[in-house]
Amino acid sequence: MILRVFRYEPSGRERLQEYELETGPATTVLDALVEIQRTLDPTLAFRYACRVGMCGSCAMVVNGRERWTCRTRLATLGGGPVTIRPLYHFPLIKDLVVDMAPFAEKMKAAGAAFVPRESEAGFPPIGSGSRERARIDPAIECIGCGACLSACTMVGWDANFLGPAALTRAFTAAADSRDGGLGARWEALFGEDGVFRCHGQQTCIEVCPMGLEPSEAIRRLRRMGLGAIFSFAVMAF
Amino acid sequence: MTRLRREWGAREGWRGTGAGMWAWLLQRAAALTLVVVIGLHLANPFARTVQALLLALVLLHGLLGLRAVLLDFGLPLRLHRALFAAALGLGVALFAAFWAWRWY
Repeated sequence: MILRVFRYEPSGRERLQEYELETGPATTVLDALVEIQRTLDPTLAFRYACRVGMCGSCAMVVNGRERWTCRTRLATLGGGPVTIRPLYHFPLIKDLVVDMAPFAEKMKAAGAAFVPRESEAGFPPIGSGSRERARIDPAIECIGCGACLSACTMVGWDANFLGPAALTRAFTAAADSRDGGLGARWEALFGEDGVFRCHGQQTCIEVCPMGLEPSEAIRRLRRMGLGAIFSFAVMAF
Repeated sequence: MTRLRREWGAREGWRGTGAGMWAWLLQRAAALTLVVVIGLHLANPFARTVQALLLALVLLHGLLGLRAVLLDFGLPLRLHRALFAAALGLGVALFAAFWAWRWY
């Protein structure tokens, strides 16, 4: 199997380097990269941690599509050469390693943290069978891999767009009846770089390894915003 | 700080492009082409090729727009691929029906 791997150093130019290695039916893309680093080229840099699809740190662009490399078997990618690049839209550090700081910055910018209501004493649970729980649950399993930010063309055009992951996280807080932070998030969520920047191309849904639907969270946030504006208008008149 | 972007000019940039992206692109492309075709149609309203092109583009743009509206208004997002296929299929059917129905 031939692998074309993106190589980069801040002082040098970008290039694709070709490696050839023996692979089996169960060899994953990450296995192959580890094998290259151990036997062919110890200077190759890439990031991984758990190797079993839990941590999200090994996401890369494989054959033009964002994938978690520890769960992507080479045998499923066809017989031709496999191209491996780092995630798009993130600052490059070295080879396949990107700086994930923008991911956290977008979370902060979206106000994607739970803010308890002032009136709340303690944390009363949301019932497991409640509609509220059913709305929030599908959106909480983000592992922070960054694949959705890489796949989102709107993030590519507008680096300030909060993006699918941060908006999904903001939705889980906003949809929580115990949360009181929507007022503080309002400008970020419904401003120029917020939910209305999403054009519904569904690329985030296509690549999310956890099967999340960030577009759905964004759609629900839009409805919450429009609902709040409508309520305000009704009260004002 | 260097950031990689998808290379739309290269074949690899298009690999893995999903139905949602194609639907979005097709609708925009149809809109841009419509601007030109409407101009041609106004210059010569009786040119059959331009009429056919106009009808096809209006159907494509309109039905893909309807798909986007339905998704925006709450249809489950898991249906987005099926809606894309339905928009294209319905477009072909409506085109055939309109074209067969010569009203002048």
